Amino acid sequence: MSANAVIEVEGLTKSYGKFQALKGLDLHVEQGQVHGFLGPNGAGKSTTIRVLLGLLKANSGTVRLLGGDPWNDVVNLHRRRAYVPGEVSLWPGMTGGEAIDLLGSLRGGLNETRRAELIERFELDPTKRGRQYSKGNRQKVAIVAALASDVELLIMDEPTSGLDPLMEKVFQETVGEAQRRGATVLLSSHILAEVEILADRLSIIRDGRIVENGSLAELRGHTRTSVHATLEHPPAVELLTSLGDVHLDGHRLTASIDSPRIGEAMTALAPYGLSALTVEPPSLESLFLRLYETTDTETDAPAGAGR
Amino acid sequence: MNAALAGTAPLLRTTIHHDGRSFAPWIMIVTALATSSVLVYPWIFPTQQDRAGLAAAVGANPALGLIFGPAYDLSSADGFAAWRSLALGGFLVALGAIFLVTRTTRGQEDSGQAELLASGVLGRSSRLLAGVGLAMIGSLLLGIVAGLATVLCGGAWESSLLLGGTFAATGWMFAAIAAVTAQLGSDTRTANSLAVGTLGVLFLLRGFLLSITAPEWTVWANPLGWMTETRPATEKNWWPLLLAVGFTLVLLTIAFVLQARRDFGQGAIAPRQGPARGRVRSPLRLALRINAGPMLTWTIAFLALGVMFGYFTTSITELLGADSAVTQLLASGGASSDALVSVFLVTVLSLVGIIATVPGVQTVLKVRAEEMDDRVELIIAAGTRRSRYYGSNILVAFAAPTLYVLIAGAIVAALASSADIGVDYPGAFLQAVATVPAVWTVIALSVAVVGARPRVTLVAWFGVLASFVLTLLGPTFKLPDWALGISPFWHIPIVSSVDADPSGLVWITGVTLALVAIGFAGFRRRDLAR
Repeated sequence: MSANAVIEVEGLTKSYGKFQALKGLDLHVEQGQVHGFLGPNGAGKSTTIRVLLGLLKANSGTVRLLGGDPWNDVVNLHRRRAYVPGEVSLWPGMTGGEAIDLLGSLRGGLNETRRAELIERFELDPTKRGRQYSKGNRQKVAIVAALASDVELLIMDEPTSGLDPLMEKVFQETVGEAQRRGATVLLSSHILAEVEILADRLSIIRDGRIVENGSLAELRGHTRTSVHATLEHPPAVELLTSLGDVHLDGHRLTASIDSPRIGEAMTALAPYGLSALTVEPPSLESLFLRLYETTDTETDAPAGAGR
Repeated sequence: MNAALAGTAPLLRTTIHHDGRSFAPWIMIVTALATSSVLVYPWIFPTQQDRAGLAAAVGANPALGLIFGPAYDLSSADGFAAWRSLALGGFLVALGAIFLVTRTTRGQEDSGQAELLASGVLGRSSRLLAGVGLAMIGSLLLGIVAGLATVLCGGAWESSLLLGGTFAATGWMFAAIAAVTAQLGSDTRTANSLAVGTLGVLFLLRGFLLSITAPEWTVWANPLGWMTETRPATEKNWWPLLLAVGFTLVLLTIAFVLQARRDFGQGAIAPRQGPARGRVRSPLRLALRINAGPMLTWTIAFLALGVMFGYFTTSITELLGADSAVTQLLASGGASSDALVSVFLVTVLSLVGIIATVPGVQTVLKVRAEEMDDRVELIIAAGTRRSRYYGSNILVAFAAPTLYVLIAGAIVAALASSADIGVDYPGAFLQAVATVPAVWTVIALSVAVVGARPRVTLVAWFGVLASFVLTLLGPTFKLPDWALGISPFWHIPIVSSVDADPSGLVWITGVTLALVAIGFAGFRRRDLAR
């Protein structure tokens, strides 16, 4: 295990009664990364995060956060990290400004200049009371409270689900600035675009397990590029061993191939009178769809690939 | 039906389907209260002598009158049922109706359910009408069920149905009051507090004014007084129920006018701008902050309770002297006048203590509410030890009721010692202090529940209920000591007596410590709710 890992999770399991939410989850986040944590609803993202926060007790497996145990070393660890929930609930009678100051001082103080600057950039009115804020504004309060503290680790659980596109942009800028200050960020989301912009590395969770893990480029590499070709004299399907999922319909061929091996496909197809060719670039979305649609990911997903 | 009320009928059906069930326990409790009175009466008080004894015991402890109102006739089962359940049953129906109305109107606005409904074909007054309608149907049903069940258990037809009628009428009046407060407060909690506060004040005022035989207009100024004036067992007056219907209609009109004028999700009491910077910077300050509103209200309530109970205590000798049965009891030996006064003082202060457990349990349950609203996770995730968070809230839950008991106790002691009834200030105040450990035990039960078994939060109220029932009703029902001893208030010594034995307080404090320890251990170890 790397010496500068900020989050190290091995074989984490957690059940609620009979329902097993996490089934042996591994997660590694290195210092200084923005680590995207992606998965469909109900895959176990929030459960994982709540274990990392020390709100839930793991059933088995090891969890290390900033070198400590989040369940036992509450005070030491928690002051070094901040949390933005997806559903922010504020005290109905307390203003946003008061909530920011409370959370900041529990964490051991916040950076006054940055607090003021963030409030301005997020266009937040800190004099409104909790019950008056919209969902997006409650989220801004939590984001400002988290980013105004000088913490080593930011854990964010779908932090932008209530923000409008302009504020989402501000959010992305501020997370980028936090990363330049040296903070590590675990960003859970199901918004691909956001993760594509911010994240250095990704872990994709499905059904309580990590099914893909790597840098954006590596994950793109795993995606199979689809190839559509028109051939003058198509060969027997069996001859095209370098291609996968080959389907021939008269002269039209569709197939897929691992992205780094597109060159091989060209070589393989060239002798058969290639007259038209479309190569669809791999998108994170297609990877996503492939992972989500597969019913038996347990067996055929390259779990932990790219590590 | 005009546009403002469009869609009420289907909405009412859905509301009955979703929220109707929550009213069922109130129907059961009140029915049980009325029927049990009729059922047990001939069994516990078989002879005329027993019945006279009951009348004497009730007369000798006017503190009971504060809760139950005057006993017009304790020589028949119907009279006993009317005395025991009219005021208390009415109080419970009123609580049920208030909670139901607030929940189906203001509660839905808070949770956002209402917005979903408002976007459908629904007039702007439909939701209020459906909520009030549900509470009124529920109250009426309760009255009919309780009345008929009492008849089946052996009550007289007219008395029992009139008793049921007062339940229904009380439910209607407070459904209307809640409809108004739901327009005034801008969230569920404020709306509930306003309505329940009104109920509490009117309830205690009725008991107090009837007990001290205040001028008659004071009864008629109080809607709950009208209910007492039905006198189901003796005079059988039906017409006060019409007053209740009129009162309901007037208040409902006000509620609908207010509702039409306010904005969605807002109250008549407009929210002001708050401070941009916070001074709350620790879990304890936070616990104080989120309980500040209720603490202010309860402090005022206990100042009033102290004055009322204290004034009441000063008139004890008149109250006792007026009752010939008590004089007989005194003449037959057994109890001296001083001893009666002491017992009375203990009862009054126990009552203060039992009422003080309510805000304590509320504060503890607030922790659970905060947890369910995902606000505890913000605090814990910001680096607060769980024991520190829970401890801060428990400190407030114990300290505030202690303060309330001491405030009310000091006032009672001051007033009682100023009158010539053989009570001195230090003795009476010490009696109030001796009540505090019992208050703690009841609150500690809720600490254990919220810490270790938060799914059964209703159990947290068990201590309050048991103390209330056993302390006030237990002795008149001649329950055995072991049963009475379930209430921690039974263990409070009479400090003025020579052979006062404080060992009971040691025992209940042991129980308190054990319960708090269970609560802490549980809160440290369990998963926080999502």
